[in-house]
Amino acid sequence: MFWRKRKGSDFSAEIEAHIQQESERLREQGMSPEEARAAARRAFGNVMHAEERFYESTRWMWWDHLKQDVHFGLRILAKSPGFTGVAVLTLALGIGATTAIFSMVNGVLLRPLAYRQPNQLYLVREIIPELSQTYPTLPANLRNFRVWQRDCHSFEDVAIVEPLNMTLTGHGEAEQISGGHASANLFEVLGIQAELGRTFLPHEDAPGKNQVVVLSDSFWRERFHADETIAGRSITLDGKPFQVVGILPASFRFPKATQLGAMVEFPSRADYFTPLGLHPEQFSPLGEFDFAAIARLRHGTSASQALAELNTIQAQIAKDEKQGVGLRAALIPLESQVVGDARGGLLLLLGGVGAVLLIVCMNLANLLLVRLPGRVREAAIRTAIGASRGQLTRQLLTESGLIAVLGGALGIWLAYFGVRWLVALAPASLPRLDEVHMDARVLLLMVCVSLLTGVLFGALPAWRVAHAEPQQALKQGSGTTTESSYTRRLRESLICLEVGVGTLLLIIAGLLTTSLVHLLGVDKGFSAEHVLAVDVSLPPQSYTKPEQKQGFYDEVLTRVRSLPGVGSAGWISRLPLEGQEQVDSISVPGHPSNLQAPVANYRYVTAGYFHAIGIPLRQGRWIEPTDRDRHVAVISQSVANEVWPGQNPLGMKFHTGGDEAPLTEVVGVVADIRTVALDEPPLLMIYLPAGPASRNWSGSHASLAVRATMAPAALGSAVRGVMQSVDSGVPILHLRPMAEIVSESVSTRRFEMLLACLFALFALLLAALGIYGVVAYAVAQRRRELGIRMAFGACGVDLRNLVLQHGMWLVLAGWATGLLAALVTGHVIRSLLFGVAPQDPLTIASVTVAVLFVGALACYVPAARTTKLDPMAALRQE
Amino acid sequence: MQGTLDLLILRTLIFGPQHGQGIARAIQQTSEEELLVEHGALYPALQRLEECGWISAKWGASSNNRKARFYSLTSAGRKQLVKETAKWKRLTAAIARILGLEAEGS
Repeated sequence: MFWRKRKGSDFSAEIEAHIQQESERLREQGMSPEEARAAARRAFGNVMHAEERFYESTRWMWWDHLKQDVHFGLRILAKSPGFTGVAVLTLALGIGATTAIFSMVNGVLLRPLAYRQPNQLYLVREIIPELSQTYPTLPANLRNFRVWQRDCHSFEDVAIVEPLNMTLTGHGEAEQISGGHASANLFEVLGIQAELGRTFLPHEDAPGKNQVVVLSDSFWRERFHADETIAGRSITLDGKPFQVVGILPASFRFPKATQLGAMVEFPSRADYFTPLGLHPEQFSPLGEFDFAAIARLRHGTSASQALAELNTIQAQIAKDEKQGVGLRAALIPLESQVVGDARGGLLLLLGGVGAVLLIVCMNLANLLLVRLPGRVREAAIRTAIGASRGQLTRQLLTESGLIAVLGGALGIWLAYFGVRWLVALAPASLPRLDEVHMDARVLLLMVCVSLLTGVLFGALPAWRVAHAEPQQALKQGSGTTTESSYTRRLRESLICLEVGVGTLLLIIAGLLTTSLVHLLGVDKGFSAEHVLAVDVSLPPQSYTKPEQKQGFYDEVLTRVRSLPGVGSAGWISRLPLEGQEQVDSISVPGHPSNLQAPVANYRYVTAGYFHAIGIPLRQGRWIEPTDRDRHVAVISQSVANEVWPGQNPLGMKFHTGGDEAPLTEVVGVVADIRTVALDEPPLLMIYLPAGPASRNWSGSHASLAVRATMAPAALGSAVRGVMQSVDSGVPILHLRPMAEIVSESVSTRRFEMLLACLFALFALLLAALGIYGVVAYAVAQRRRELGIRMAFGACGVDLRNLVLQHGMWLVLAGWATGLLAALVTGHVIRSLLFGVAPQDPLTIASVTVAVLFVGALACYVPAARTTKLDPMAALRQE
Repeated sequence: MQGTLDLLILRTLIFGPQHGQGIARAIQQTSEEELLVEHGALYPALQRLEECGWISAKWGASSNNRKARFYSLTSAGRKQLVKETAKWKRLTAAIARILGLEAEGS
């Protein structure tokens, strides 16, 4: 509208025109020009008042005030660049760290799984009470699954899926691809629709009808260049034609590794899914627990109701099977299973972030409080010339708000890089890592947090300034700008709290570090140093017969052993720390039921493996090349203790698996090893000779362990060359030092520890800055007093100690607070620790030394200045 | 009284476009110097009326060839004038009655 655009100058011009016209009229009546003009002005009244009224009528006043406050605030901030720089930087670091970590936690923990109503999804695990000592829960069994699907009314539906690797041929180089086969309703249960084409039809998981496949978006893009005509075409998997019926949406992620429970390990990305195509009758009812079962609960049914019904069904199945064992089930919310162990660590980080942000706020409040006396005088003058309390408060809050906005903006910019850095640093095993990024929700939250911190750290000083008595403030001479004892105590408590929070974070960081050290020092049962590990996968087209596979393994072994720098070498079906595989029972003849027999991880090894990986022999002998066709076994120490307690296990015989399996003789006992993770106790291990006749081992995958007499990495290319020269068609999946596998297995812990240390150091740094500020300020405040003391004969060192003492009391009080908090809350982080108690005295002692040292340093630097104090100058200053 | 000045301005403009000083003079003359309008108060009132859309304004030349901002009545302003005049008449009549009664009573 026009009037909005009318400018003040236009209005003034109109008034000027009026006065001119009026004075001209008066001149015509006979007045002198000066008289006429004066009379016209008189008749007009207050020009300024009219202009002000015009101005106010055309503006939104609050916007004007804000502009004015911001302008003034910027000037104030620019006047003290040191203060502004420190405040903005502190806040930026605080907000940057918070945003980055929060993005991480948001991506991994808070964002629901990208499935339809993910809170209705539960993982179904089976429980055999007789086995629960070794295996608390088991994956699902196909036959039982069919019974649940038919009889369990608490489930809207239930699906099962099993990881499956297949070889893709006919599209360039043969490639092994990872995916899964599932019941036809898997995507229906998850609530996922194909982006292109369709998912499975209900009948497609029947045997013979299952030659269809859906592809993941990323695989489709990489391998088929997003060719939309692929739908309906056929691709060759494991030599059989599969019709591509659909492409999954790009947002679809499938849980990986053991995120669907122990003993079901999905690869880090699933490229494809095919329907099962298995006869349930092929499966024994109480064996082959291989599948992840995902159930969607019917609406309005609680998990406990569903579990009760499921357990009734399970009991009936067990009764019908008459195997003399019970059968139960467990329902685990899918989300908590997927996020799993990471939850504790991430929540800890979030707590750390909150603590750091709190320290940041306290430091800023402290900075503002230090400036308080000066501001009180300024405010008093402003009050004296008519500013209201509201205006003063608004002005001061605008200032802190400005710091918050500047710091926040810089912080968000830092966070952008922080997130990328964290994602790069984070262990790949962290669930849903690929989904971590800064999203609008996090940004919004951070904008709120920065504004809130602005209000939070600005509110107290603003209130103090606005409520100061102007008379008193002005009465105090120009030289002394004393702060009230109330403000001083407030600032000192803030510093105490900072030191406390810093101490707490340091203790936590120390405990996590100690845990990691303990973990890396744990007796793994093997020695990873100087060991090179190579994983290979034999293409099924060219290696059809067991003898061919054995030929490859033998040839590689012979040639690798003759390489210079190789101490020993041997093959194994799966390396330590790479998880469980080939889990079966150990049944000793005459034992009542094989289900009550202990269960072990079976491994197939060639001669030389134990030497190469460094597993020590306890009793008997190693596996020799001549054992290839014999039924002999080397067992781990815990098998001996469990199966033949108090007896000599050598020469004992057992069935590897069911009673129909051949009797195997124990020829040696080796040390226990960590099979799954360094923090999980050893499992029962049985080593059988690898050979063409190896039962239950396809021989398509194997790992070579090579013990080097030099640095193992240097041996890498030579070993690779040997593999290539034997058969260049065999893909090498991994080639890395064994130490790297060990290191990777603790990567999550290392990451947590690293972040905890970063936080703790950051907190300690901020607290030290805070202490420095308080002591430096106290020295400045007490110049007169110190000068008098000096005049009366105190020497510089006495004064320094006086100041030092004051500062160290604060540090001590803060340290005690933090220590108390650590002792009280220690149990919260117990699950993250390994081999160290939350009250570990050594950690606490080292943290104490660190805190006191840093605190003393922060006090000493400003306190030392007192020794250079000139009493005359200090006293004259008034 | 609230709105009195507005009413007087609208009434003055019924004779054609006029600038601020002219309006002030006209009110003074028509009321036979009885109503002394503080000129400074006139302009915020004109601004207000303009915002209400009752009058419109544009710069032009005055009779003695000076630049001046001329105000004229809009049709909305005309309606408003009729309404306000009627209201004013009712109000003054009511006041007159009260004052008359008082005069009789005393």
